[in-house]
Amino acid sequence: MPGELHLGVDVGGTNTDAVIIDRQGTLMAKAKVATVPDVGPAIEQAIRLALSRLGGGPDQIRRVMLGTTQATNAILERRALQKVGVIRLGYPLTTALPPLASWPADLRAAVSAGETVVAGGSDYDGAELGRLDRDAVARFACSVGAAAEVIAITGVFSPVAADHELEAAEIVRHELGGVHICLSHEIGTLGLVERENATVLNAALTGVVTTITGALRHSLARHGLHADSYLAQNDGTLVALEAALRFPVLTIASGPANSMRGAAFLSGEEEAVVIDVGGTTADIGVLVRGFPSDSLSPVTVGGVETNFRMPDILSLRVGGGTRIERRGPAMHFGTSIGSRLTSDALVFGGPVPTLTDAAVAAGRMSLGGRAVPAGWHATLTAALARADTLIAEGIDRMRLTSALWPLVVVGGAGALVPPDVGGVSRFLRPGHYDVANAIGAAIAPVSGYAERVCPSRPDRKRAAIQEARDDAFARAVQAGADPRHVQIADVDEVPLSYLLDPAVRVRVRAIGPLLDLPATALPAVPAGQEPDD
Amino acid sequence: MQLTVANLPVYALGCAIASSGGGGSTKTPLAMAVQAVDQLGPVDIADVGSLPPDGIVMPVGLIGAPMVATERIWSGEEAFILRDQVESLCKAPVAALMCYEIGGSNGLLPVTWAARLGMPLLDADGMGRAFPEMQQQAMHLAGVPASPLVLTDGCGDVAVLWAADNYRAERLARRAMSLFGGACAATAYLMTAQRAATAVITGSVSRALKVGGSLRLRARERVAAITGSVGGTVLLDGKLIELTRESDGGFASGSAIVAGLGPDAGRLIRLEMQNEVLLALEDGEQLAMVPDIISVIGSDTCEPLPTEGMRLGQRVTIVAHPGPSVWTTPEGLDVAGPRAFGLPLEYTPISGMTARAR
Repeated sequence: MPGELHLGVDVGGTNTDAVIIDRQGTLMAKAKVATVPDVGPAIEQAIRLALSRLGGGPDQIRRVMLGTTQATNAILERRALQKVGVIRLGYPLTTALPPLASWPADLRAAVSAGETVVAGGSDYDGAELGRLDRDAVARFACSVGAAAEVIAITGVFSPVAADHELEAAEIVRHELGGVHICLSHEIGTLGLVERENATVLNAALTGVVTTITGALRHSLARHGLHADSYLAQNDGTLVALEAALRFPVLTIASGPANSMRGAAFLSGEEEAVVIDVGGTTADIGVLVRGFPSDSLSPVTVGGVETNFRMPDILSLRVGGGTRIERRGPAMHFGTSIGSRLTSDALVFGGPVPTLTDAAVAAGRMSLGGRAVPAGWHATLTAALARADTLIAEGIDRMRLTSALWPLVVVGGAGALVPPDVGGVSRFLRPGHYDVANAIGAAIAPVSGYAERVCPSRPDRKRAAIQEARDDAFARAVQAGADPRHVQIADVDEVPLSYLLDPAVRVRVRAIGPLLDLPATALPAVPAGQEPDD
Repeated sequence: MQLTVANLPVYALGCAIASSGGGGSTKTPLAMAVQAVDQLGPVDIADVGSLPPDGIVMPVGLIGAPMVATERIWSGEEAFILRDQVESLCKAPVAALMCYEIGGSNGLLPVTWAARLGMPLLDADGMGRAFPEMQQQAMHLAGVPASPLVLTDGCGDVAVLWAADNYRAERLARRAMSLFGGACAATAYLMTAQRAATAVITGSVSRALKVGGSLRLRARERVAAITGSVGGTVLLDGKLIELTRESDGGFASGSAIVAGLGPDAGRLIRLEMQNEVLLALEDGEQLAMVPDIISVIGSDTCEPLPTEGMRLGQRVTIVAHPGPSVWTTPEGLDVAGPRAFGLPLEYTPISGMTARAR
């Protein structure tokens, strides 16, 4: 069936995977290559291998989805970041905590082209906090001038009323011409400092995402692929390549979300604990209605607190490449040997004992082919027992209720987890568990978010929820969703306490499949909430 | 004794333990205080006896919605607005600031303001914990009027309220606060140092520093250290398996159920909350109740969780510790005992109850 296939690519720290699925979600081909220092060749090689295994021409591929950790790594390594001019609207308020005040000094130095706080912003009810100081915005724009490659604008309560951010952007555009501008109300939720941090990081990542989307386009062109392309986001949904260039920060940590969505799809489970065992870590998360459960506590990226929608993940330093060290009688877990596993591990004839060796010695995996030296057996047995305990504790910690939950195991080193792991109602390691990430990217839907703060009077709240639903719906369609199948995935209400006429913050998420995606890739609609049409 | 960049995180942990889950997150106010102290120098902690007897003690803090305060961050200038108003109302110089509520964010905001004004912070507070209302102050029990109460939104708007009594002061302040953008810097219960000596809860700041000292310990040892330093009892180690929330008359109320794990497997504790955690119940039996302090400590961070920060699946340790003794007198219970929060219960101290429960 030409022109209907999806190609999913996941660029991980150790491996780059590519999968091709048909419109029913059936896996047609998969490929796994080492992520060499430059991701461009790895993407290209994985795509080449997957296409050759599929057979036939490249015109069978209709869409390409890419998940990557490149943005995260750029922040962690402080490299390839853009210089950002930071404008906050709220003066005279907020100056006790100036922009970027709590950033690590080296990251701040790498990113900031200058910061200012000017009058403007809104109150919680949308009323003007102060008149926008248009002159101050213009003066700042002129003063940073060419030093700023991107301008980030954050207004007090802009998720409630964005007018001043938009107006300030106009002024900057007037002064600096076509400079790239990031507005906080499009990126984050309530919480000024975290939203501002996310907006500035977003601005700083513009270059990194331009590079990776360029690499992807280049790969596609070389293979003669004329497919629509998408990047995977941290909440398990997709964004079109052009939109990803505007919101690169939302691609951070898309890996865990993809593997969890892939696990849901491969296993058919909607409510489950998922463990993704890779070369370096075992990441444990929870699926609720087929999507990863979000973290409520602020997420720190490279030492900066943000308030992105991120899956709640418990990351254990237990992976296939985890080095096992002996100190006297005691056994310790060291750092992962990563992609050197296939040359350095015992079962590959190398000198380094790893958890993969322990799993092979215990008969859980068959890999490498070399026998494990007898002197290591006791230590490896102890190491595997320790890994089992850590994993069991992790699963116990993550399940949301006291009832036992099913466990879905995925990831390249998924065979490390034994079927008799305790504390689960069922054990599932579905077929193709080793490429769940890439499958998660290939089947992902697109989404739209909207947020309102309104009085908690029932009539006003109903109206606000309706508005937010309409907005979220429109944003999902704008992102490429099939309007016939967009559904409201969740409506979240948080009361703002201590106000006599209580206000409520309402957040709505709409999710829809890309055209002709299988219905099983969609979340179920929660009870009492009809699909919006 | 001083509050410095080095010991402010320790102090913030002590404030969070004292909050009983209320009072708002200390995170943003801590960052503000660190910023202010880093730029302007440490804040002196003063004993009430060291102040001139007729110098004014200015109890300060935030009145408003903690979530609003995460957007509407202060400038620090509001400290000058409040002080100038107070000095013109009292016709006397302010000698020191005081936290009117040590628990949660209000333990930290006055540090920023004291640093800005270059004034000492009194080693005392008005609540010894966190409470939701203005009359729940030791000064109220001692007969100090809440009025004149000064509010500012930090944008130049100021209100001075002269209320008929301290209960009406609470109602008026709450009304005004909604008009002022949902969060106000406030001062109330102005008094001379001489009056303060017998009207406030003393030692609150140094106590928070001592309790927070456990932050220096490794995570594993912290809960024991915290429990030891506040004379508390661990009620349960477990996991949050049920959580309901609603907004009621301006207050976020709700309940949580924590299921025991490990040695506590099979036990269930129910927590009743109204901004703060007010009551811990097991099989219908009362384990601990307001005005005693119930801290819910996250097992992964070993930091106390604000009630709004609790979520399903979290592993927690519930610790109960005695509240300030001023609240367990008959007069204190009238203002801040279980009945003041609409709980139809007689106050029973923690110790007696736990002996029965175990």
